[in-house]
Amino acid sequence: MKFSFFHLMPYTHLELESHEWPFPNRYFDPAKASALYRTYVESMIHADSCGFDWIGCNEHHFSPYGMMANPNLIGGALAYSTRRAKIAITGNLVPLNNPIRVAEEYAMLDCMTGGRLVAGLMRGIPHEYLAYNIPPGESWERQREAVQLILRAWTEPEPFGWEGKHYQYRQVSIWPKPMQKPHPPLVISASNADSARFAAEMRATMGMVLLADLPSGKECIRVYREAARASGWEPAPENILVGMHTCIAETDADARRWLGQGLKYFDEVLMGGLQASQRIVLQKTRYFENEESRDRWKSRLDKRRTLTLDEQIERGTVLCGSPETVVAQIRRVHGELGHGVFNFTVKVGTLPDDVIRRGMELFRDRVLPHVRNL
Amino acid sequence: MTQPRASRIALSSGELSYFAAGEGRPLVYLHPAGGVRWTKVLDELAKSFKLLVPITPGFDGAPAHPSVKSMKALAALSGEFVEKTVGGPCDVIGCSFGAYLAVWLAAQRPGLVDHLVLECPAGFRPKAHGGRPADASELHKLLFLHPEKLPPEEKPADMEAANRKMLPHYGYAQDTDEELLALVPSIDKLTLILHGTADRMIPRESVQLLKSRLPHAYLVYVWDAAHAIEVDQPERVLAVLTSFLQRSEGFMVNWGTLAVNP
Repeated sequence: MKFSFFHLMPYTHLELESHEWPFPNRYFDPAKASALYRTYVESMIHADSCGFDWIGCNEHHFSPYGMMANPNLIGGALAYSTRRAKIAITGNLVPLNNPIRVAEEYAMLDCMTGGRLVAGLMRGIPHEYLAYNIPPGESWERQREAVQLILRAWTEPEPFGWEGKHYQYRQVSIWPKPMQKPHPPLVISASNADSARFAAEMRATMGMVLLADLPSGKECIRVYREAARASGWEPAPENILVGMHTCIAETDADARRWLGQGLKYFDEVLMGGLQASQRIVLQKTRYFENEESRDRWKSRLDKRRTLTLDEQIERGTVLCGSPETVVAQIRRVHGELGHGVFNFTVKVGTLPDDVIRRGMELFRDRVLPHVRNL
Repeated sequence: MTQPRASRIALSSGELSYFAAGEGRPLVYLHPAGGVRWTKVLDELAKSFKLLVPITPGFDGAPAHPSVKSMKALAALSGEFVEKTVGGPCDVIGCSFGAYLAVWLAAQRPGLVDHLVLECPAGFRPKAHGGRPADASELHKLLFLHPEKLPPEEKPADMEAANRKMLPHYGYAQDTDEELLALVPSIDKLTLILHGTADRMIPRESVQLLKSRLPHAYLVYVWDAAHAIEVDQPERVLAVLTSFLQRSEGFMVNWGTLAVNP
């Protein structure tokens, strides 16, 4: 089993709930953000010495939910201060960006890290489309075309042009090209059947986060495996990434207390504006290819939001407890899903950074030795 | 829709049928193995160019020329056609089998070719990559990703099949034509290679090989198109093609505006 230390980089100095979109940035204090960035990046660097195999972050816009408008900048900050772990950018929001720029920046990171990049090519959650003024109804078309274009930009031996529906480039010849051949490993979100099929077709590792329950995750894995076989390949366990909120403390009671506090801020403050914008996008556009996918996505988030922490622990959708408890939880989820990469979202809302740091050390000393060989 | 005029011309090995449409700078189009298909691309080109489309002897019901039995001889015949109808160098487009022929023409008669456009060119296929299946329905799938875009006046399937049976007559190379490949570096024409991103008949390696050997070539992939790129994505093919023919290397520049409310 491989383990990924994932940081959402939230802004944690808000004292109010907000359900506006966009979240007014008059509440943003650059001096506080500067300190947060430093703390967060140092925490990610520390993960390299705590046995984590991947260190990751992703892209979000216009919200305190995550302060990573461009996660590749964080990747650059980690490139020379980490030695062993892969830098997992999970990922760039492909339909929102210039795909050639994505290909170039990822190729830079792969060279800078000596071939340690894991390249996430994500479609993004609905509200990001408001931020960058991209039609949500075009999200799938853009994603499919842009991913193919990025792969060609990395692998074509000669300069080439691209005449597509959403992207046109008369000549492409990126410098640098990626260090890993044929290209860095891909991660594509697969939290529903449509995206699971696409991830399989692209021979990407499938990524699932914020599961409502384990059976729904199991179903996505089944669809992914089936689509992979239809595309002529068999996924290995490390092609399946499962992500969960994670808190490891000395005792179960401590872990529950800290995570409970962090989740309250996460759900009530960080998710507030996002929920408002997502409701608008989902009601008024064709972000999802069909109503079934839309309803499933909505119900997954609604279900997760209404569950208490105890219920989430019971369902196996968060990792929370003492090292011994978390070992048992990891074994349980692995037994159900058979995945090979476990992605820990460690900075849940206002969960204190010193608690996270102590949790990383408990992971290194008392969790990892018991689950490494799963 | 432009109505092509059917004409004939006497050449040294026999009479050659051809279509002509439009007025302007001459543009010769060499058809694919299925014969002439008057696509939206040809229709639009005829609005800006004097389009000349010779019918390869033995195709589309035209009689074969007994002395023309190789791609080289067919290229010589095509050269004679250009000399007699145009009288000097002109831009040449070839599609699949026609692109293979166009490369032979440019190699043998460089003085008759100005800009060269090769749509999913045959003749440079690595062994065990791609190929043309014998089964008609399988062939149809490899040709068209969007068969719903086929023009309604599609020619009878048996005529297309008969056309394809003429390929061995010309010594058509299923894999790479090594003799021609050796000549490719000597072709100094500005060349545009077009290839569909879903083309499984002519593999990507073929166009990559050609691009690497031609001294002045551009390769452009057409998204969401199989082998018959003119049918699958006529607008995308036309956008690149007309820009290249009108602006030469300048086709790389975006001459339009991205402003929505200027």
